[in-house]
Amino acid sequence: MQTATLQGRSFAFEKWLPSLLMLGLLAYLVLVPLVILLVSSVKPTGMPLDPGWTLDHFAETYSDPAFYRMAGTTFIFAIGSAMGALTIGILMAWLVERTDLPARGFVRVMILLPMATPPVLLAIAWVMLASPRTGFFNEILSPLMGEGRHLFDIFSMQGMIFVESLSLAPTTFLILSPAFRNMDPNLEEAARTSGAGIFTMIRRVMLPVLFPSLLAATGLLLMFGLLVFDIPGTLGMPVGIFVLSSQIVYLVNDAPGGLAEYGPISAMAVFFLVILLMITWGYRRATRNASRYVTMTGKSFRIRPYKLRRWKAPAVTFVSLYFFFATIAPIAILIWTSLMPYQAGVSLDMIPKMTMANHMAFFANSRAMSAAQNSVIIGGLAATIVALLSVLVSWLVIRSKAPGRNLIDLLSFLPLAIPGTMIGVALTYVYLTLGSLPIYGTIWIIVIAYVTTYIAFGTRTTHNVMLQLSPELEEASRASGAGWFRTMRRVVVPLTLPAIVAVWIWVVSHCLRELSSALLLQGFDNKTVPVLLWGYWTGGEPNKASAVGLWLILAMIILVSAWQILSARGRLVGVKA
Amino acid sequence: MLDIENLRVEYISASARHLAVDDISLSVKDGEFFTLLGPSGCGKTTTLRCIAGLETPQGGRISIDGNPVFDATSGKAMPTQKRDISMVFQSYAIWPNMSVAENVGFPLEVKGMRRAERRRIVDRTLEMVGLTSQADRPATMLSGGQQQRVALARAVIKEAKVLLLDEPLSNLDAKLREQMRAELRDLQRNVGTTSIYVTHDQDEALSLSDRIAVMHGGKVIEVGTPHDLYLKPRNLFTAQFIGEAQLFPCRPLERVGDGFLVETSFGKILAKVNTDLGGEATHVFVRPEHTEFVDPSSNACNVLSGRIVSTVFSGKHVEYDVETTCNQRLSVSASSANLRTPGDEVSLRLPPDNAVLLAGTA
Repeated sequence: MQTATLQGRSFAFEKWLPSLLMLGLLAYLVLVPLVILLVSSVKPTGMPLDPGWTLDHFAETYSDPAFYRMAGTTFIFAIGSAMGALTIGILMAWLVERTDLPARGFVRVMILLPMATPPVLLAIAWVMLASPRTGFFNEILSPLMGEGRHLFDIFSMQGMIFVESLSLAPTTFLILSPAFRNMDPNLEEAARTSGAGIFTMIRRVMLPVLFPSLLAATGLLLMFGLLVFDIPGTLGMPVGIFVLSSQIVYLVNDAPGGLAEYGPISAMAVFFLVILLMITWGYRRATRNASRYVTMTGKSFRIRPYKLRRWKAPAVTFVSLYFFFATIAPIAILIWTSLMPYQAGVSLDMIPKMTMANHMAFFANSRAMSAAQNSVIIGGLAATIVALLSVLVSWLVIRSKAPGRNLIDLLSFLPLAIPGTMIGVALTYVYLTLGSLPIYGTIWIIVIAYVTTYIAFGTRTTHNVMLQLSPELEEASRASGAGWFRTMRRVVVPLTLPAIVAVWIWVVSHCLRELSSALLLQGFDNKTVPVLLWGYWTGGEPNKASAVGLWLILAMIILVSAWQILSARGRLVGVKA
Repeated sequence: MLDIENLRVEYISASARHLAVDDISLSVKDGEFFTLLGPSGCGKTTTLRCIAGLETPQGGRISIDGNPVFDATSGKAMPTQKRDISMVFQSYAIWPNMSVAENVGFPLEVKGMRRAERRRIVDRTLEMVGLTSQADRPATMLSGGQQQRVALARAVIKEAKVLLLDEPLSNLDAKLREQMRAELRDLQRNVGTTSIYVTHDQDEALSLSDRIAVMHGGKVIEVGTPHDLYLKPRNLFTAQFIGEAQLFPCRPLERVGDGFLVETSFGKILAKVNTDLGGEATHVFVRPEHTEFVDPSSNACNVLSGRIVSTVFSGKHVEYDVETTCNQRLSVSASSANLRTPGDEVSLRLPPDNAVLLAGTA
């Protein structure tokens, strides 16, 4: 009888260690800012470490009619732009995926171009196109309207909703087009052969099948609408239309007393946080059960496109108008403005005065170059951290049987519900008051903000890829004698690489265009390109803003194209054993 | 070589506790080809994954070649990669990011073997499975049968003490499966590794194994050689799961010589298998292919007369459905050399040497 002892580790320890490390890290990134935000709302000075407790901020905020006006405005804006984006997105997805619309492949590529336009630039461009006095569209239409009157006013709720809808439509399209594409045409045909007319068919068959995707898209759009700053900040703030995010930025940067009023800000934020968390919870439920409705059967089917016939012309017009409003007109006006020596309308007279000075200034200006450098470093760092963290989180959540993996999943998803402005404010508290890490005012604080914000997106993508990866591929590696690290290096990472790179590029491109967190966290030497651009714009230098913006768009187009190509490749790899 | 004691695996979900493996003990000898056979959900794959360390049981002990790898009482488990095992997966689990040679050489790469030496052994192993010409192709370009051989080569090259095979042939089409079955058997004989094979296919189990453990509902029902399990099963489930068996309830009467006489609904039957059950016997069966057509004038024992109701012709043999004079249906499988047609009056003999007694409730 041999009496060899078991050379193994206690499996309880092995089970808990990775979970605890990951939970600690995510709690630090996500929970600490949230808790600090909550604590600061019940502190007299609004600073979390100052003495005393008070409910005054809540009493003051929630008894002020102005707060409810602002909340109302925010909801109208969020719901309006969600509806607008859904209308455009659903129509586009249906036209591209299920009908005989001409040049569908081209349309599919073109529809993603607005993603390369940072929302703040879209808003700025639309000011140039449709501001009441000098907007291009108003000018060319002024002979029709008569002196002193104008057709469009972009500085309005309608204007904000219009531009936000244009900006969110590509996201909607991206969420919905797979659902349209994968819908088994047999379902439609079965309904038709049962004698159902087209409207009955839509109501009884298509809508129920698409319902989960529609719900997911709606939830996401509402969240975006409630927390976005760029467009309401550009179009609403100048005329006193405030939504939550712009209100926070206003109270931090331009508070009437000169000092940021963190107490009221936190009290206000708590209200929205509760609502956002509720939407997030609903969104998670909707997407979790999505597999119940899975319409992909694995068997291939050919889609017989719906014939548009006499509706073809209106459909083409609709698509063209979207491209014109979302891409062509804004970029054209930015190009024009960037070539002008001062703000000037579009006219033949100005052509001789065209100049490259604004573009040259961008490259010659050391402040601009350091902003570009900051953006690149921040983007690269945040994207790398997010990509690695996402793979680890997904591996723990999807693949391992680690305890606490549901909590890890939740924590990594939560930031979706936290506006960039709130993360900005919360991190200000954390690093201004706790003083644990002297990173306030440096690029590091922005890196932390971005990692927190984008981890939610990163993990969603890596989750999907991890689900496609057969667990036996990893088990075969371990059975071959490879440890965890080698299995990751030789099997998991190579097979998920396209997705990892796609996440990386997506995060870089969003870091490059993100404005609100960076604006709130800006210090002496951590300005990013969008912050610089915002400074030019609010400082009355639209020509410089346009020039910077165009170079930003160019960088974004390259990144978005790379992301699209890699995402498509990632799907093709079909990593099944 | 491989010892499993009181293994227990529980799955606890929100609503229920499910015992996937219920107190299993097994002992596999050195060099043996041992099969876990059972319907899906019987716990055979879970047991295999516990041996590999891919699943952590709630109770029991596992040791490989005298070295404990899992012990629930001390709460310790050796991680999969430290265990002296190799495994072939149902899906083959060929890594699509590596070539055939890289896949097969991976266990050696993990051991830290130098590239040149590794390549030599890889080439030798690939030759063994007939894939020499495919060495540098991407593994995803191979056919199902070839992928299966890569998976086998990768498992064999590690020269582990125990080779674990999880339904390795189930993804192949019927013809290829037969061919691979023979190759697998030859390979195992050549290498001589102790092998644990999981399958739900009784033909595979019977033709490959030295011994088979029949599993059902998380328990091992019966362990024995293919020969014993087929010809003298001790358990009702085994009798019905392996081969065809029509069980007839019976009442034990008396011992007659080396047999035992039982009373059935269609008369007295003399059985000579499992006579030690004696008065305990509750059922008796004779496999359809052991039942014989005999001359009606024969006055041997265990002879019944009846009429053929229907036939199913499948080339090699013919299945007859016979109704005896006391309205008992019997199925008989006979050679196609001598065809009978529905309506024929026949006499059947249930040979006592092939009449098996069983005890238990069906």
